[in-house]
Amino acid sequence: MTRKLIKRAVLALGLGAASLTLSACDGVTVGVGYGYDPFYDSMLWNDYYHDVNVDIDIDRPDRPRPPDGRPPARPVPPIAKPPNRPPVSRPPNRPRPPVARPPVARPPIHRPAGRR
Amino acid sequence: MRIQFISALAICVAFWTGGGPASADTPVTYTDNGRALFSFSVPDFWALRTGGPREIEDTELGDPRAVARVMGLRPVTDDSAWMGFVSPVGVASIDDGLRYLQDIDKFLVKDPTVTGTSTTRIGGLPARVIRGTGMRERRGVNFTATVIDLPNGRVAVAVAILRDGADPAYVDDLNAVFASFRSLQ
Repeated sequence: MTRKLIKRAVLALGLGAASLTLSACDGVTVGVGYGYDPFYDSMLWNDYYHDVNVDIDIDRPDRPRPPDGRPPARPVPPIAKPPNRPPVSRPPNRPRPPVARPPVARPPIHRPAGRR
Repeated sequence: MRIQFISALAICVAFWTGGGPASADTPVTYTDNGRALFSFSVPDFWALRTGGPREIEDTELGDPRAVARVMGLRPVTDDSAWMGFVSPVGVASIDDGLRYLQDIDKFLVKDPTVTGTSTTRIGGLPARVIRGTGMRERRGVNFTATVIDLPNGRVAVAVAILRDGADPAYVDDLNAVFASFRSLQ
């Protein structure tokens, strides 16, 4: 009788400990978390410092102004482009020798082949 | 529904200096270079994203620019309400803050329409509140942008956003955050 009781107690304690141990593996977090957050990203972005010219990045020199006026014309390349010629006339159609062609639809890769 | 939100926000704005409902319970301090600027409380079951000073670059212009810490708040299980705080460097007065807001609102909402501005006090400090509506990702949004004049030549910019269809209870949470705002200088 006592043996049976001890057996049952050990079983119950063991099962309880096991369920506690297993449930510890499961996270307790609920919710969507911080994924895509459009408003946060937008608030990072601002054009304010373009207009006001605040010295917040001191180490950086001013950006040079681009040269005024139109850019100079591009030089002519030393090797001239070949003139457009009509394509060389094709040889007349001949009957083609029979050639083995690959199968039209191949089975996709990474797929276990069926039993043969 | 939208009109109800606007009126609810407007009514609550009038009570910002008084205490809101006590649903904002976790105090948070905004610091810049180790200096505490202001604090506010995060409502229960809201998530806080702290961020930090960093530099971002426009890939088209190749123009890096510094960005101050942005703190974002939103309900943990919902993205229909959002609130952000930033204290930009070099923005010293409310007028500068309004210009700063003009330069970020085009990124926050599309086609913004201002429905009202008011001058008030938040946390005992002079503040300017701009309310309006706009679009974001094909959903209408209500926004409330606030510039709060902090001592020592700084401002706090706070933007609260409610998307259409958001739970009206978020208005109370947002106002509780404003009610908990305190300067720390």
